[in-house]
Order: sequence, then structure tokens, then C-alpha cells
Amino acid sequence: MNVSWEIIVLILALIAVMVLVPRSDFLARWRGSHRDEPRILREDALKHIHHCEYSGVPCTLDSLAGALGLDRNRTANLLDELVGRKLIAYNGMQLSLTESGRNYALSVVRVHRLWERYLADETAVEELRWHEEAEKQEHRLSAEDAESLSRRLGHPLYDPHGDPIPSQGGVVPEPKGKPLQAFGQGEVVRIVHVEDEPASVYAQLVEAGLFPGTTIKIAGSGPEKIIVVKEGKSIGLTMNLSANLTAVRVPPAQFKKEQRTLASLDLGVSGVVSRISPACRGLQRRRLMDLGIVPGTVIEAEMKAVGGDPTAYLIRGAIVALRRDQARLVYLEEERATS
Amino acid sequence: MAQRKTRKRYIMSRHEEIFKTVESLRWNLGDRLHDDAVEAIYAEAARISARSVTVAGEAKRPTFDQTLDRLVTNRWMGIPMMVLILAIVFWITIEGANIPSAFLASILLDAFHPALKQFGDNVLMPWWLSGLLFDGIYLAMAWVVSVMLPPMAIFFPLFTLAEDFGYLPRVAFNLDSLFRKAGAHGKQALTMAMGYGCNAAAIISTRIIDSPRERLIAILTNNFAICNGRWPTQILIATIFVGSLAPAAFSGLVSSLTVVAVVMIGVLTTFVVSWGLSKTILKGEASFFSLELPPYRPPRIWQTIYTSVIDRTLIVLWRAVVWAVPAGAVIWLVSNIHVGQESLAEHAVRFLDPVGLAVGLNGVILLAYIIAIPANEIVIPTVLMLTVLVARMAGVGVGAGVMFELDSELATAQVLKAGGWTLLTGINLMLFSLLHNPCSTTLYTIYKETGSAKWTTLSAMIPLALAFLVCFAVTAGWKIFG
Repeated sequence: MNVSWEIIVLILALIAVMVLVPRSDFLARWRGSHRDEPRILREDALKHIHHCEYSGVPCTLDSLAGALGLDRNRTANLLDELVGRKLIAYNGMQLSLTESGRNYALSVVRVHRLWERYLADETAVEELRWHEEAEKQEHRLSAEDAESLSRRLGHPLYDPHGDPIPSQGGVVPEPKGKPLQAFGQGEVVRIVHVEDEPASVYAQLVEAGLFPGTTIKIAGSGPEKIIVVKEGKSIGLTMNLSANLTAVRVPPAQFKKEQRTLASLDLGVSGVVSRISPACRGLQRRRLMDLGIVPGTVIEAEMKAVGGDPTAYLIRGAIVALRRDQARLVYLEEERATS
Repeated sequence: MAQRKTRKRYIMSRHEEIFKTVESLRWNLGDRLHDDAVEAIYAEAARISARSVTVAGEAKRPTFDQTLDRLVTNRWMGIPMMVLILAIVFWITIEGANIPSAFLASILLDAFHPALKQFGDNVLMPWWLSGLLFDGIYLAMAWVVSVMLPPMAIFFPLFTLAEDFGYLPRVAFNLDSLFRKAGAHGKQALTMAMGYGCNAAAIISTRIIDSPRERLIAILTNNFAICNGRWPTQILIATIFVGSLAPAAFSGLVSSLTVVAVVMIGVLTTFVVSWGLSKTILKGEASFFSLELPPYRPPRIWQTIYTSVIDRTLIVLWRAVVWAVPAGAVIWLVSNIHVGQESLAEHAVRFLDPVGLAVGLNGVILLAYIIAIPANEIVIPTVLMLTVLVARMAGVGVGAGVMFELDSELATAQVLKAGGWTLLTGINLMLFSLLHNPCSTTLYTIYKETGSAKWTTLSAMIPLALAFLVCFAVTAGWKIFG
């Protein structure tokens, strides 16, 4: 009698654990152990070569071995197989994609970037896990899956790091912008791309609040460090951080539009919305806009809750409460509203 | 023929060209298409309204609203005011429900039930048919209606009136910082309060939370607000087992404090489980916060009563009645079908006893919770009936499978203590009643609202696992330290 009860309880507990932690690291690692599958290796290799071609870096057997974490022998075998399938060609020591190889690589990249965009827009999965999740998903979704995902997301053009999502037909525009180091002191630039690898560098950039779409001013530029200003705060970027940022120059007036946020508004005072922060994405962004928070909207801070957060704002005649974390994502024009 | 082929080839190549052009032009569109569209719509709406709407006088908010809001969100006044208002609502509900409840019970249980039995005898109905129909099905149904209907019919209109006036959104506004720390939405305060009336109705009311993650949290934790089917259990057990420990003069106060303590444990559990959910299984769900504070307005009394009675009370009552029918049948059947010398109920109780005793309860309580899953209201009557049946007490109750309640707490205590209950059983029953899985009416409502078997299963399994865990821990502690 007693033994059978113990068994039943144990089984129930096990089921509960399986249901409760489907995304635990243990299970993920177990699932991820199939990574050595030949198809996945082929796709990762094509992706790497495409990446080299797109960013204009030479691609060799060694660079590929490093990227895939394989020894030279296995990499060479893999390359032979890819050549045999007419997906790549040797160009002296350099590797290049054939027409069909490029299309294959682009279809994998398309899924990867669409999935990152999906995680950014439709879920609350944190930034640092986007890449890792997309690395798994890119080998699973078919072209039809990718198309229906793209449709569901409203056919987005860029992934959340600013990389273009290849279209169904495999069209990718030329990379735009210049590395941050290329800009001089006093220039106002908008970040267009944040490289998400290596993960530790990316984590520091996320921590600093630098996203594609963020406007910054370059306050100082030296051989070891670049100092940028964002929302009135100075951020020092070492070279390995700034090397992962690409930016374009924007009119200096843009900078003034992103220095004050709704969270800094005093009670009884009103401000004019200039922009919603690029860090606010997907559902968050849509709902804020649905509430009528668009450039030019006049917002007045009405009252604070007992604990000081959230704050109620008068927006287009309605009183709407927003939390401080959200109010921080709404930029105001520098000058006070006149009315 | 050849001409047609060339023409076709020409059209195909034109198609491809157009697609190519489209694909390259997409990139000039920019990634802000949605933003641009919304901005344009608002700009156009603003232009139209500026041209055609004239506002008389000041466009400011009425000073009455501002004054009231300042009072409601006042650092010192806000929370005490809220506690006072909610206390008044609960007091009116509990006090006010007694009279119609007793009235319904006297009609449905005391008058109509014997009349039905008499009718069965008159038409020479076999004993098992009249037992199944009248003692099983009818009694379960009548019990649910008489206990459930009055408090809901009072509580829901009062609650809806406070909502309609505009006060409840301010409560959510004030309590949001508390819920934010648990990863939940301030409006969960309202769905929790609703849960003290009825969990099923509260599940429907989570529709006010528009963020998917926070809504699921509110649904999965609503169970820890004890519904009006569980209040009587808590009060009865607290009186019998805890209140009786204190000197007679204080026993009332001690029992009330015990119930309050149970409610507080429930609130604490809500926060802890909400926090845990938002950090684990609900981590990836999309989330958004916004809370509209509508202007105060005089409540529309008749409309409110009508909608709250139709939308909330009757729908929930109907679901409960539908579930009570099979439950009544099962309760009667397990007590009356015999295998060997004993009824199914006795076999089941013997089977469940080891588990029950391990968590400081007993087989009767577990069986009662299994077969009375449609409504918590009938748990205590079922427990009493089963206790009498299993212990083969003579002269108490009205027969196998016929639920009953005793007029005095003293008599109830005697039956329970004869069934082997101790203070530990009492405490564990209160905890189990607080934490255990929601009733089938609520589970069905959760399934309807989420449309997902996964969330429905979880909303039953999490509380159930927690209930067993807590009761087990209490029992183990009791045995070690007691």
C-alpha cells in the first residue's frame, strides 16, 4: 500500500516538474544535443560564409572552423560536401557562395532574423536570449512557416538588432551607416545596428540602453574610448563596445527631442510628446500609440498613486495611469507646452 | 501558336520584373509604417475634431473629480478608506445573505425535499430512483442554489456599483505598486476582491486586464481568494476547533481572527505564486500596463443590478447547477452501491485514508473534495454525511447519500470528533480549503476564458500541489514539535 502511494506521488511530481519548467536549461541542453546533425552544420556554414560576404570580410577554412567550433579536418570534410552539393565554390583560398548556396543561406538568415523580431515584438523574452533562441529556430522553420510568420508580424524589414530581414525572394539591401568610431566629436548620430555577438559585449550595450534607433551625441572621441551622451547622461564606450555599433548622422535637432521623458514631468505640468523610444517595441508600442501617445500629443501629469507609482496622466481628455518604467520610454520636446 | 508563347513569356518576364521592383522598393518604405499610420490617423482625427467640435467653457476636469481623486490617492487617507469601503461591502453581503439564504433553505430543503420524497412514495417509485433523483440530484442542486445565490445577488451589484461610480479603478491605481513587485497588474486587486464572492465570476472579470501575462497570473492565482462557498467552512471549523480553545468570552473573537489569518495567508500566497509564475512559466508572455481612470459618475442603479444579476450571478449559478446534477448523483451512488459488505464510499475512504492522514486530513475529507468538486458549498454537508456513514453512527443524519447539516455547532463538533478529528485536522482542513484546486465550475470557466487545456490543468494542479505540500509540512511540523 505505502509503496504504491510513493510511486504515484513521485510520478505526479515528475509530471508537475515537466509541465512547470519546459524551458529549463537542463531540457534545453538535452534538446540542443542534436546540434551535430549534418544539415544544421551545413546551414551554419553557409550562414557564416554569407555573413563574411555581406560584411566584406575574407572567409577561409580557418575562420569557418572557428565560427563552427570544429577542427580543421571536419571543417574540410564539410566544405568538400558543400562543394559537392554545388552550394559553395573555392576562390583561391577564399570561400564564396554559389547562386543556390546564397539563396539557401538567405532563407536560413531570413528565419533567424524573423524569429528575433518575433521574440522582440510579441513576447517578453529578454534581449540576451533572442539570438540563442533564433539559432535553434532557424533550422526548424520551413519557407512557408517563415512567410506566415512574416505576415503575422506585418512583414517587418529589420530584425531588432538593425539587420535587414532578407525578403522571400532573397533581396537584401546594402549595409548602411558607418562604425561609431568614424564620427567626430559633437556629431549627432542615430544607431542603426547593434551587433549581438559576442554576447558579453552585447549585454553591456543593452545595459547602456543603446538600441537601433537611439539618438546619441558624440561628446568625446579618443584612441581608447568614445564618450556619448544619451538622455542627458554620459556613457563611456571602450573600443570593443563601440566597434559593435553602426550609426548614421542625423540633424542635431533630433538630439533635443530625446533628452526629456514623460517620467520627469512634474504633477500639474504638461509636455509635448516627441517620440516613443525605440526600446519600446511590439505590443508595448502599439498600446501606447493606441492610447493616443504620438508625436505632438500634449500630456499633463495629474496625480500619483499612494506609493508614488504609477502616475495618472491626462492624455487627449482621458486619465490613463502608466508605470514609471513605461513613462521613461516616452520622449518629450524640450520646450514646455504653451497651452 | 508560337506568337502566343512569346507573348506568355513576355508577360512572365514582366511579372518577375514587377516583383523585383516591389522587393527593392520595400526597403525605402522604412520600418516605421505602423507608427506612421497611427500618427497619421491621430493627426487626421485631431484636424477633424478641431474643425467641428466646440467645447463649452473650460476643457479641464471637473473640480469635484479632482478633489475626490486627491482624497482617494492621499498618502494617509487612501488605503484606510479602501479597507473601510471593502469591509462595508463584505459586511452587507454576509449579514444580508443570511436572511434570504435561510428562507431559500426552508423552502427548497426543509419543505420541498420531503414533499418530493412523499410524492415518490405516493407514485410507488422504487427507493433507489427516488433516492437518486431527490436525495442525490435534487438536494445537491437545491443546496448550491440556496447557499450560493443570495450572497452573489448582493455582492455583485454592490461591487458593480462601486465600479460604475469609478472608485474601483482608483483602488487598482493605488495598489498597483504592490502588484507590480509580484509581476502582476493592479487590476488583479479587483479580480481578487471579486474572488471573495465567487472565483468563477472573478475569472470572467479578469477580462478587465488587457495584458496577456498579467491576465493569466490573475486567473491562475484567483483561487487563493476564498469564495463564498468556502467562507462557511472556514468559520465553522475555526469556531469548532480553534475558538473552543479560548475562554468562552473570547472564543468568538479568536475564531474571527483565525479566519482573518487564513485570508491573509491566502493574500500572501497570491503574491508569492504570482511572483513565481511571472518569473518562471509566464516569463516569456507579452505584457503591458495601462489603467484608465474614468471620470466619476453617478452609478446607474437599475442598469447595474440588471447586468450584474444577469451577467454574473445567473451565468455562474447556471454553471454551478449544471455541475451539481452529476455530483449529486455521484454522491448518492457511491454511498448506496455496495461491493461486498461496504459501500463504494467506504472503500474509497479506506483507500484514501493513508494519503489523507499523511497530510493531516483523512479519507473522508479527500473523498468529499473529490465528489463535491462542482461547488465548495456542498463539501461540509458531504463530509458530515460520509463521516456518519463510515463511522456507522446511529441516530445522526438522514441516511446514506443524503447530505445534511446540523443545527448547532456543538452537534457538528460531536460528529466530527467522533469521526476522529483533532485540532490538527481542523487547521489542515482550513488550509486545504484555502489552497486546494478550484471547483469544477471555475475550472470550466477558466477553460472557456483561456481556451487552453494547459492553463486549465495548471490552474488545478498548482493549487492542489500547494495544498498537499502545505498540509504535509504542517503535519510534519506538528508531529515533530507537538
